[in-house]
Amino acid sequence: METLKISTKPTMSHIQNQIHPLNLKPYPLIHNSRILGVYNNKGGRTFSFTLTCKLKVKTVKGTKTNNEKSVSGQITVPDSDSAPPIIEAEEGSIGNGEKKMEQKNSVSGSGLFKKLPRKVLGILSNLPLAIAEMFAVAGLMALGTFIDQGEAPDYYFQKFPDDHPFLGFFSWRWVLTLGFDHMFSSPVFLGTLTLLGASLMACTYTTQIPLVKVARRWSFLNSAETIRKQEYADTLPRASVKDLGVILMGDGFEVFSKGPALYAFKGLAGRFAPIGVHLSLLLVMSGGTLSATGSFRGAVTVPQGLNFVAGDVLSPSGFLSTPSDAFSTEIHVNRFSMDYYDSGEVSQFHTDLSLYDLNGKEVMRKTISVNDPLRYGGITIYQTDWSISALQVLKDGEGPFNLAMAPLQMNGGDKKLFGTFLPVEDGDSPNVKGISMLARDLQSVILYDKQGKFAGVRRPNSKLPIEIDGTKIVIVDAIGSSGLDLKTDPGVPVVYAGFGALMLTTCISYLSHTQLWALQDGTSVVVGGKTNRAKGEFPDAINRLLDQVPELVETSSPKESDSLVASKLELERTGLDV
Amino acid sequence: MIFSTLEHILTHISFSIVSIVITIHLITFLVDEIVKLYDSSEKGIIVTFFCITGLLVTRWISSGHFPLSDLYESLIFLSWSFSLIHIIPYFKKNVLILSKITGPSAIFTQGFATSGILTEIHQSVILVPALQSEWLIMHVSMMILGYAALLCGSLLSVALLVITFRKNRQLFYKSNGFLNESFFLGENVLQNTSFFSAKNYYRSQLIQQLDYWSYRVISLGFTFLTIGILSGAVWANEAWGSYWNWDPKETWAFITWIVFAIYLHTRTNRNLRGANSAIVASIGFLIIWICYFGVNLLGIGLHSYGSFPSTFN
Repeated sequence: METLKISTKPTMSHIQNQIHPLNLKPYPLIHNSRILGVYNNKGGRTFSFTLTCKLKVKTVKGTKTNNEKSVSGQITVPDSDSAPPIIEAEEGSIGNGEKKMEQKNSVSGSGLFKKLPRKVLGILSNLPLAIAEMFAVAGLMALGTFIDQGEAPDYYFQKFPDDHPFLGFFSWRWVLTLGFDHMFSSPVFLGTLTLLGASLMACTYTTQIPLVKVARRWSFLNSAETIRKQEYADTLPRASVKDLGVILMGDGFEVFSKGPALYAFKGLAGRFAPIGVHLSLLLVMSGGTLSATGSFRGAVTVPQGLNFVAGDVLSPSGFLSTPSDAFSTEIHVNRFSMDYYDSGEVSQFHTDLSLYDLNGKEVMRKTISVNDPLRYGGITIYQTDWSISALQVLKDGEGPFNLAMAPLQMNGGDKKLFGTFLPVEDGDSPNVKGISMLARDLQSVILYDKQGKFAGVRRPNSKLPIEIDGTKIVIVDAIGSSGLDLKTDPGVPVVYAGFGALMLTTCISYLSHTQLWALQDGTSVVVGGKTNRAKGEFPDAINRLLDQVPELVETSSPKESDSLVASKLELERTGLDV
Repeated sequence: MIFSTLEHILTHISFSIVSIVITIHLITFLVDEIVKLYDSSEKGIIVTFFCITGLLVTRWISSGHFPLSDLYESLIFLSWSFSLIHIIPYFKKNVLILSKITGPSAIFTQGFATSGILTEIHQSVILVPALQSEWLIMHVSMMILGYAALLCGSLLSVALLVITFRKNRQLFYKSNGFLNESFFLGENVLQNTSFFSAKNYYRSQLIQQLDYWSYRVISLGFTFLTIGILSGAVWANEAWGSYWNWDPKETWAFITWIVFAIYLHTRTNRNLRGANSAIVASIGFLIIWICYFGVNLLGIGLHSYGSFPSTFN
């Protein structure tokens, strides 16, 4: 037995060492071939996006001989965390998956404790159950957007009356009992989500992790028949398996060869990525839980020039919320300003903030705006709202007086309007008359006289006086209030890590894991292969590669193309049967 | 000024080309497959693609921000994505059925966007403070590319369902006819069945192709959707103070994501594959429209940029 090393990739070098004949141990290789066979049998032609959960359960059921416990036991792999051993699959084992599995019953009489969790695992990793859970989550969320959230009970009494229930049964009793008025924190929804998370874990543990162990190994096929039974099969006349190996390496395959047999694979990451998707989803879920239980939130509207202490605003959201040192920070709003477009619409809001520690020392200063929050000691301060707190007005040269502005109710629309009132007559009379001032933003103030008629518009800071009913008024300044949101969220780093991993693994999941086997059969080479995702393009891609394989003897009749056509026909035929 | 004129010209060109292409498609659909006409409709879509690209670029330059701030612009971008998928040579070479889906989809969205229904919001609007972020480009373009790919994939699945159910019905008819005819025309029946089996062969080939390509396109769209949702979450953490707000649009995007995750899971199981997964994808088709359009039309939640102007967030 001679070993031929073709792959020169440094990452695989440690594996190369293992191929050395001396290290080649007789090893109960049935594991690998058996499992591959099962996939061929059950999984059919597709290895799918997220690795199967149902598959596993079926495997256990279908091949169960005398016990129900060895779910994970049958896919045990030697603990050597180093290189995977080389495997010679028994002839014919790949392709016809109905091979009986011998089961190793390792569970003794005290297995009841092991039995129960395994049963639970088996149920949880059931694919139809997981699909049902996903549908349930989706349905509950949809319901959550149809039912207005967070209203008072009276609202639901009116909207879903008992005497005219929606769809004949859906009344406010349902809404309030099941907590659908706050769907996304209701026990029903959170319970379903938890169940889904449990399924995710169970599936990862019972199905996906064992798949890794299988896929990390490879096997040579030593029978031309077996190779021809692959989803794609072809015969190259007058070719050498070494040439094929070189060409495959050039296309990014990892190539292993032993004697006349060759095994090559590509895109192994595509097979592992769904596990990563599941794990990162779990990471996001745990981060979300941490956020829900361990964060502080608070909102405050602070007039320009005033200050507040962070800890006074922040209130805990869950039992894990623990305040930090930064909570004693005093935050001073130095200035609140707004930018405008030429059309007069608001383009941006800015708040100049100073942070002082307990000793009164300024530790940070930053102008925040929407999309540009301030972060200090775990606290994040967002610009989220605004209002006008006061107008500074000179009345007949006296003052300045601060007139408090009140938000006015607008019918419709979400534009803001603020108003104030300056009495010009004796304030003791029962119906005081005076000048009304309205402002939409900090740009301009609209003034109305005693009769309520429009008197004029003034810009703050313009120092241009306006005379209304004999009173000379100068609007010195409009003082805005900044609406700030504060939060601490220990879950964010976890969630972000999950996001990053999820994006990456989802992208990798699009790749296909392609496996090729080849065998030198006299002067011709038999090639067979399969892939798990890009099945449509696979034959074309492989044909392109095989076309590059040089013919050893120069002959005039290009028989290769004939055989290509023939095998394509065969492929179509077999494809139809499946 | 010059930009708005250019924009008008490009809009009109793309719209007129789109109308012509619709007519050509109708003719080829109703009358017969006239190769020359079909080729010209292909060229028409390429020209439309460049027109829409020009339109987007002009809007970008004239407004100074990435043109994805309202419903009209996102519709234009959606039709741009469709025509992009349509003209990608990779898909063109391999999947003729896909271009049968993307072409008309691009035509319909472009037609809808430029038609009179949405004229009042054609004017490029100012960008509200919450949208002023680099995340806008990443989030919205990924979402809409994802929608485009998912819509294509789920339409392929809808086509698969239609063909599958028509096949079942025809088989039923066929068996009826079989009984009647077999009384007196034995030979004819034999010929008929061989003809049908050839037809069935092509049909099952087509179903396999539809199944496979809807799976591939949906996987691609799912990737885009995932990136879009996650980048949106990161952006929300910058702008609104929380990475997830259970806002209607977010929730529906998540529902879409879950439905297509279900689709991808049904693909892993042999028993559920085929018609079952196609049904899931067809549900997904409806849900994308609810997510993309329905939520905007209701104008609720934080994502209500397309429906009416808001002053803050």
